[in-house]
Amino acid sequence: METAGVEGISYDSRVIPIRLTCMGRISIGIILKAFEQGAMGVLMLGCPKDECQYDTGMHRAEEVMGKTKKILGLLGYSEDRIGLDCLEAGKGKAFADRVGEFMTRLTAGHPASRETTKATFARSG
Amino acid sequence: MPGKKNTMKTMDDIVKQNQVMLCLTCGKCSAVCPITRWEKRIYTSPRLLVEKAVEGNQTAVFNDLLFWSCLSCRQCTELCPSQVDFCGFIKGMRSLARAEDLVGECSHGNAIHTWSKIMTQPDLRQNRLDWLGDDQKVSEQSDTIYFIGCLPYYDVLFQDTDVEGLNIARSAITIMNRAGIVPHVMKNERCCGHDQLWEGDVDTFRELARLNLESFISTGAKRIVTTCPECAFTLKYDYPRYAEEFDMEILHISQLIAELIDQDRIGFKEPEKHYAVTYQDPCRLGRYMGLYDEPRRVLKKSGYDLLEMEKNKTAALCCGTSCWTSCGQVNKHIQTERLMQAGNTGAGMLVTACIKCQIHFRCAQKDRSLKDDIGINIRDLTTLVAESLER
Repeated sequence: METAGVEGISYDSRVIPIRLTCMGRISIGIILKAFEQGAMGVLMLGCPKDECQYDTGMHRAEEVMGKTKKILGLLGYSEDRIGLDCLEAGKGKAFADRVGEFMTRLTAGHPASRETTKATFARSG
Repeated sequence: MPGKKNTMKTMDDIVKQNQVMLCLTCGKCSAVCPITRWEKRIYTSPRLLVEKAVEGNQTAVFNDLLFWSCLSCRQCTELCPSQVDFCGFIKGMRSLARAEDLVGECSHGNAIHTWSKIMTQPDLRQNRLDWLGDDQKVSEQSDTIYFIGCLPYYDVLFQDTDVEGLNIARSAITIMNRAGIVPHVMKNERCCGHDQLWEGDVDTFRELARLNLESFISTGAKRIVTTCPECAFTLKYDYPRYAEEFDMEILHISQLIAELIDQDRIGFKEPEKHYAVTYQDPCRLGRYMGLYDEPRRVLKKSGYDLLEMEKNKTAALCCGTSCWTSCGQVNKHIQTERLMQAGNTGAGMLVTACIKCQIHFRCAQKDRSLKDDIGINIRDLTTLVAESLER
């Protein structure tokens, strides 16, 4: 995100970034909280799986993602409203692209929505 | 729907309402409180907490270790010679604490409290009935509602502990169907709000209660059956107390099964061998609702021999955690203690009538070093009964 800023690449202003020290810190509660507060979707951007400093960060995130999808499904939210992706450190353009893609997917069904989209991601490196 | 008004009380009101000032400082509560027994960091007991409240020291009450870790198991009130309602006092005080932005620490990263809060959205369209199979007959015209509670959600959240979850719901419907009852399972049922109320979040509780009551009344049903003792207690006693009076009979599944057995509407197959089991009294079903005999009668009728634990009925030990809050080493000690008591009976299985008891005990069993001491098989009363039904 910092690189995107330095390079002057803009991304959707409705995105609220929430920083975590590692994607392994994500929990079902944190994701649900975003939805409770009115987020339209939650995108989690972590480091590439084999580059995790703590070894299991993204694996844990995948577990959480699986359970959260099921719980959101029970609550009546569509599966598309949550995404997990990885990104190498220092790729500003790629960051803006991923966020943009997610936003397009989210807003496709709701063109008139003015809800905020939250993007949660782990700082890479 | 006009709900009862939320009038904020002061500590004095809560003290008077729960007869806290009548405490004789005899210490019987401290002798039975499981938290007092296992909390090794500092000595804390219901008696000392009550003393702080009577002295008018609100901050000291909020800072007491017992304040958020109280299990509201009611063992203290059961023995209290002055009938001090300590758990009612804690419930009231927690709502005061919340007004000061003090909250208990959820042991599951707030997931459970947050989904309950999401359920207060009036236009929420839940998709919670996918588990219903062809074997389970339900009808929207039924005069009996089966309130499944958060079972579909627990089934996902606690899947690693092999908790029985939705099997309980399927079994409950199978039992009712066998007796000719085709229940109504509501599409958009909300959490009953038990944990919110006991955590002091009265506003969320009222909102959930209002939405649930609207749904109940619109179905035109006459009675509600639940498989969770906390749902049963909340619907029966706390909805009229905090939200709205409503004219429906509330039954826990063990009461319904006992009734069906008495009316000869369900039969059980002759077991090849009588298994010895022991029974855990859930706090809300036992000490709060006084239902000790129904679940035991149902168990015996289903072909099981009942061996009682050393502490049973009014003296039964709690499963160790309440409202998903403040679970830690102290709670694990309580769970281990209870599982050991169950093992000491010589029974091969621990039966409980509450999904939360099952979740908490199964979680404690993850401790591999104690596997031989606490590894007893844990089952739910409803699923056991469904398995024993006559074909």
